[in-house]
Formats: sequence, C-alpha cells, structure tokens
Amino acid sequence: MTRILLVEDNEMNRDMLTRRLERKGFTIEAAGDGEEALKKIAASQPDLVLMDMNLPILNGWATCRELRANPATESLPIIALTAHAMAEDEQKARAAGCNDYTTKPIDFPLLLAKIDNLLTA
Amino acid sequence: MSNVVPTRELVRLQGLQVKVGQLLVKNKLSDMLKDDLSRLYEALELSVAKLDDLNLQGVPLDSIDSAEMRHDIRNAIGITKGYAELIKDTAEAPSATLSNLLDKIMLWSAKTISTLERTRRKQTDSSLFAMTAIKQQHPDHRGHILILDDEPANRELLSRHIQQLGLETFACATADEAYEVLRSNDIDLILLDLIMPGVSGHQVLADLKASQLWRAIPVIVISGMSDQDEVIKCIQAGADDYLQKPFNKVLLQARLHAGLDRKRWVDKERDLSNELEKSHRFIKNTFGRYLSTEIVSKLLDKPDGLDMGGQLQTVSILMADIRGFTTISESLPPQKVVKVLNNYLGTMADIIMAHDGTVDEFIGDAILALFGAPVAKADDSDRAIACALAMQAEMDAINERNIAEGLPSIRIGIGINTGEVVAGNIGSKKRAKYGVVGHAVNVTSRVEDQTQPGEILVAQSTLDHCSLSLQTGRELRLQPKGVKETISVTAINGIDSHVSNGDDSKNDSKNNAKNDAEHIKSNDTVSNDTRSNNKLANE
Repeated sequence: MTRILLVEDNEMNRDMLTRRLERKGFTIEAAGDGEEALKKIAASQPDLVLMDMNLPILNGWATCRELRANPATESLPIIALTAHAMAEDEQKARAAGCNDYTTKPIDFPLLLAKIDNLLTA
Repeated sequence: MSNVVPTRELVRLQGLQVKVGQLLVKNKLSDMLKDDLSRLYEALELSVAKLDDLNLQGVPLDSIDSAEMRHDIRNAIGITKGYAELIKDTAEAPSATLSNLLDKIMLWSAKTISTLERTRRKQTDSSLFAMTAIKQQHPDHRGHILILDDEPANRELLSRHIQQLGLETFACATADEAYEVLRSNDIDLILLDLIMPGVSGHQVLADLKASQLWRAIPVIVISGMSDQDEVIKCIQAGADDYLQKPFNKVLLQARLHAGLDRKRWVDKERDLSNELEKSHRFIKNTFGRYLSTEIVSKLLDKPDGLDMGGQLQTVSILMADIRGFTTISESLPPQKVVKVLNNYLGTMADIIMAHDGTVDEFIGDAILALFGAPVAKADDSDRAIACALAMQAEMDAINERNIAEGLPSIRIGIGINTGEVVAGNIGSKKRAKYGVVGHAVNVTSRVEDQTQPGEILVAQSTLDHCSLSLQTGRELRLQPKGVKETISVTAINGIDSHVSNGDDSKNDSKNNAKNDAEHIKSNDTVSNDTRSNNKLANE
C-alpha cells in the first residue's frame, strides 16, 4: 500500500485529489500547510509527498528545503503542484529539491505516471 | 472567438450546475456517487461565483490582468474538472444522462481554461484537454515532433501514438534526413533512437547541442532496456529525457508534454528577449539622434525606463541661432540654405551630445538644447556653458567649409538660462515628443534675442549653479515680457583655467585659477574648446 501525503491548503482541491488518488488504491494523508506537513512526515513517514507550493505558514519551497536538509527525508520523493507552467516555477521547485512537478489544473493520468515513475525509480 | 464574454460561459455553466442538482434530487444513487456528485455541485457553485464576480467587473475571460483572479478561477474550474473526471472514472454503471453531463462539464472546463490561458498562450498548462482545445483553436499551433529511428516498425508505432495526441510527426530513418527536416521545419521536440547504423544517436545529439539553431530543441532519447549507461551519457550530453522500449503510452505522453512545455518556455524567453531588444532599438532610434549614448543607456538601464510622463525639473536651457539668418536665406537659393543649415546643425548636434546635452528641437536655424533632462546631473550648468563655448569655437571651421563650398559665412548667438520646467513626453498619444515647457524656456529665448553675433549670454540663474571660473564680458539687465523682476545677464568669453589633472576643465576650474591666456581670445572668437582641452589632458 503506497502512502502519499497530500499538502494542499484549499479544502476542495484537497478533497478532490484525495478521492481520486484513494480510488486508485493509494492511502492518502493530508496536511494544510508546510508546518503540518513536516510534523506528519516525521510521524508517519509516507512513501511520497504531493505538495502545493503556495502554502500558508511555511510555503512549499521552504518546506522542501527543510525536508532535503534532514537526513531522514533527504531522498523522500516530492512532486510539486504549481499554479502555472512557468519555467521559473519549475526551476524554483527543482532548486528547492522537488523530484518532479506538475501544473494545475492537474492532468490526472500525467500525475499518476509521475508518481509511478518516482516510486519505481 | 478572441473575446469570450463571461456571460455566455456563465450561463452555460449555470445550466450544467442545475442539471447536476436535478440528478442529485431525482435519482436513486449509491452513497459514494451521491457524495461525489454533491462535491461536484459545490465545485460548480464555486466556479459560477468566480465567473459571476468577473462578469460584474465586465472583464472578459481572456484578458484578466490580476494574476490572483486568474488563479482563483483556474483553481475553481480545476476542482470542477477534477470531480467530473473522478465520477466519470469511478461511477459504476453511470446513466447515459450522467455520462453525457460529465462529458459536457469536462469539455466546458477544458475550453474555459484554455480561454483563460489564452492571454498567456505560451504558458499553457500541460493538460491534454487544454492541448486539444488549443489545437482546435489554433490549427497552426500544433507541436512538431521529429522521430529519428532506423527501425520502420518503431517509427510507425511512435508516429501513430503521437499523432493521436494531436501532434504532427516527421519520421526520419537517417541522421541526414533528420537534418533536412530540421532545416526546413520548425521542430518543437526530437525523439532520438540511440542505436542506429551509420551516424550514431550520440553523434546526432552532439551535433544538435553544438548547433546554435537547434540547441534549444528538447531531445528525448529512446533506448533499449540494456543501455542504461548509454542513457546516462546522453542526459549528460544534453538530452532532456529518455524513453525505454517497449514504449509505455502514458509515459510517452507525459514526457512529450514536459518536453513541449520546455520548448514553449524557451520560445517565450526568446520572444521576450526579442521584445526587449525591439524596445531598446525603438528607444535608440527615437532618442539616439538627439541624446548622447550615455543618456540613452541610462534610460535603458532604468527599470521604469521611459516613464517620462512629466516631471518638474531644473534644467539649463541653451538656445542658439544664426544671427541675420533671414537676410542670408533671402539672398540664397533654397538648396544652398538647406546646405548651410545642415553643415551647421549637424556639427552643433554633435557638440551638444558630446557635452551630454539633449537636442530638444531644431526650429529653422535655431537650436533648443537641454542640460539636465531627461537625466539631471550636478554639472548641468557647467556643461551648458562649456558646450556654448565649444559651439562658438567650432564656427571658424564651419565657416571655412562654407566658404570652400561657395556658401556665406555665418555667426551665431547663444543664450543660456536655468530654471524649473516640466519635462516629459508632450503631445498626443500618437505623436508624442520629449520636450520641456515652462517660463524658463521663454526667458532663454529673450536672453538669446539680446546676443550679438559670436556672443554667449548667460543668465544669472545659470551662473548661480555654475562652478566654473569664467571670463566674463558685458553685463546687462533684461526685463522680459510678463516678468516683474529684471534678469541680469553676463557675456561669457571663456573658462578661466584649463585642465591640469586629467579631469574635465569644467570640474577643475576652482582649484586651478591659473589664467591661461592662450585660450582666451576676443569677444568674437571665443576659443576655449573644452574638447580639445580634454584631448590634450588625456594625452
């Protein structure tokens, strides 16, 4: 059972993605901001993190950098969910340590391929 | 098509929302479906609310300036689309009505998002729906994919898959064929087989990445299971991604999208830098003739560059004209008058620019030059005076040329005044011109009116700002029209010292009071050419 932590502050987005991923057989845990994400990752050690970048309290980029700085999570697969297909957004996400990124609105088959790609790598 | 009125989108969406509501009430549904549908209903409600906001503001969907508003709408529609896809994927035995409704919602979402993104077409998201919508709206906007693979079966399979995605393919069996295609087509992405007879995939990759023209085209390397090391080598050599045989359709799709996205950014960056260059060229063309290179580059360096909407600024204004020009022009054929003027004005413009002045206007034989606009400097007055002296000094050379060409010799008068003016782009939107308006301009004109041939008259306002030690001549008081107080004006014959330490003479005069008689001549032939002084000092 693959466990994914979904970090997303928008309730509707979180609910929609949770439902879609759960029906594909993933176990989803959700967090609404970067700080909550760090706590939940430490507590439950998910297999992969899907993270919106514009988060309250601690944003996605900062959260990513913290995860990469910690030896326990330095290789945890992270997929960034960014608002738009901007080159700088991808570069920023990759620079912060994200393994991959996908833009919103989410192309679900593409997201699944990316998850699969990271988990089997 | 280009201006979608939100009302139409909104009405359509409200219709869809009502239908989802009806389904929820009327039909017997499984708990899961009922729950999913009620979430979809909420998402539709959110989208309606966002579009309604937009509608109230009268903003068309494809011209929303606010990134935040665009983000909110994109988000609402994205959620709507997500729930619709979820239900479509997971509902057990959906009714035809439901299935149809979900299709409509997904189509509406894809269309609306692509309209929303049209303002930033180059940054379109990678969703397949949006891609399809783009393809329908912009037939020429298809991605062009080059496939280089020596195996016919592979070429065939890849081409078919890729064409299904709405992209155009160019299949090549050899490197030479591929180069031919690259030369005559605008290719967005290359799928490259590694193992080929003749030129290897590595060599092709190296050639592509060495080419100025083709370097930016993303390359996805195709490889068999066994050559992992090769793939790593290729990525290091500049390939963007790789695909393993046998192809996974979803992965192929995902990587193509990622590659095309990258290409779009590169194109966008190139467009932006071209635009930037264009606007720089525009500034240079518009102002280059009148402004010194230093000022032009200063304008270009400023982030708000051309914000010259009007500013109150203290400037030193220089006006010069040919004394007795009306008489000269009456006695000469028009072609010769133009020749006299061009000889004179061209040289003067050069001198003004060499002193970092701005030639604001040529009015017949008169020159209006500014020191301190558009860019103010501490030594504006000093440079204006030095410039006037250089202009008078140059007259000998101009006259020599005139006489050699059978033209009359001319003498000019120069007036300088310093004061506050409004500087900015003045005129209508279509025909704006950088210039100054204000009382100080009129006063300068009055000062200049008083000059004798060969003379420079400088108003006290300029002398007050001047740090030069000057050789002065006559002094007079003027009472220009509409001015209560009189203006005191002094004739300037030269600068009292010249360079001793390599600096401009104008900056150095206070420290160096040594009188250099060689550089001061009579009233008529002022000859303290600061440019030649600089030259001496630099040597």
